[in-house]
Amino acid sequence: MGDAEKLLRFETTVLLHLDAAYNLARWLTQDEFGAEDAVQDASLRALRFFDGQRGPNPKAWFMAIVRNASLDWLNERGRHGVTEQYDDDEHGNAGEAVATEGPEHAAIRRADARDLHICIAALPVDFREVIVLRELEELSYKEISAIVDVPIGTVMSRLARARDLLTQKMQSSLRKVKS
Amino acid sequence: MRMRQVLDAWIDGELDRATAAEIEQHIAACPACLALKAERDALRLKVRDAAQYYATPAAFKAALHARLAARTPVRATRTPGWLQAGVFASFTAAIGLLAGLWIARPPSEDPLREQIVASHVASLSDTQRLITVASSDQHTVKPWLQGKIDFAPAVRDLSMQGYTLLGARLDHVADRQATAIVYRMRNHVINLYAWRATGYNAEALTLQSARGFGLATWADGGLRYAAVSDIERGDLERFARLAQAP
Repeated sequence: MGDAEKLLRFETTVLLHLDAAYNLARWLTQDEFGAEDAVQDASLRALRFFDGQRGPNPKAWFMAIVRNASLDWLNERGRHGVTEQYDDDEHGNAGEAVATEGPEHAAIRRADARDLHICIAALPVDFREVIVLRELEELSYKEISAIVDVPIGTVMSRLARARDLLTQKMQSSLRKVKS
Repeated sequence: MRMRQVLDAWIDGELDRATAAEIEQHIAACPACLALKAERDALRLKVRDAAQYYATPAAFKAALHARLAARTPVRATRTPGWLQAGVFASFTAAIGLLAGLWIARPPSEDPLREQIVASHVASLSDTQRLITVASSDQHTVKPWLQGKIDFAPAVRDLSMQGYTLLGARLDHVADRQATAIVYRMRNHVINLYAWRATGYNAEALTLQSARGFGLATWADGGLRYAAVSDIERGDLERFARLAQAP
């Protein structure tokens, strides 16, 4: 396979999943530049090892490399546990959805979305990543197990635990608002 | 604790049929599990609806493509023009190319299914093409369609159920004029096709998949319907049932 052909194949089978990879890196590093660094390192690494036949699931393969690069980035900076500031303006999803609602509704939805964001961001990395992979990327347990490199049983218990933690955090943030 | 994990796996559709049946039986008689299921469903909807999906910055995409191209040494004498174009092409173009490959493939045992999936992929590669009338209001979309075609597919507002109406366009299926009503679930597009098919008065919902896309088909009152998307099978089935509801 020539270099040109290799690059083209890489773009159409692996880099096709750039958006999913970036979203994961951004949630893991909680940093705009960290995500870009991690995705770029991972892409160069992936291209180096890409042979055109990347098994049955190029997406899981690429996301696993991106995940590792994101964790490397965190380790280098000793930044586990640092939480990125939440920025309302950046929050596209909720803004779009509120366009047809009244201003009060919109404000409640924005506040809800902000709480949710803070609660997910505050989850330990092991739990945060399974929530992102399952709920935002809608991947199967098998794919998540390949990306995170743990047995399916562990994916199952981490997801259950992550959801318990997230529910607890949401409830306590609700209580704070009420009191 | 063990029960909670199994329950999560069941909600996620990850259990085999026999175990799933056991869980269903158990849940029917266990208020605690039923309450947990309701809690999980609410959480899942909330996360999928409101959690931020970070979009890749366009400038970063362009820079990354350039970096990758630079890392792949290409002999200057043999650099074909299409490589230059290919390397700097946007992602939409890459997807468009895939759609091209797709259509160029030999037809499989089910040409209709292939045609619908190909049409879905083609519509994704070109946002201009995807939607001709953009509106989240069913009362805008329906009259627009009625002015263009001689049949009236149902246009439903399913936003409360997590499927946002984006709009509609005219398309072709099986050499007939078809309507495509476009919905979004999170960042996934759903195309709901409808076209006239004499003799198809009532046909039950069928789910199948082709090349990574799910396809739900049914017929009603001389119209055939096909919903196609890359959302999960369970979500597509739910969508199809909602779209069918009288």
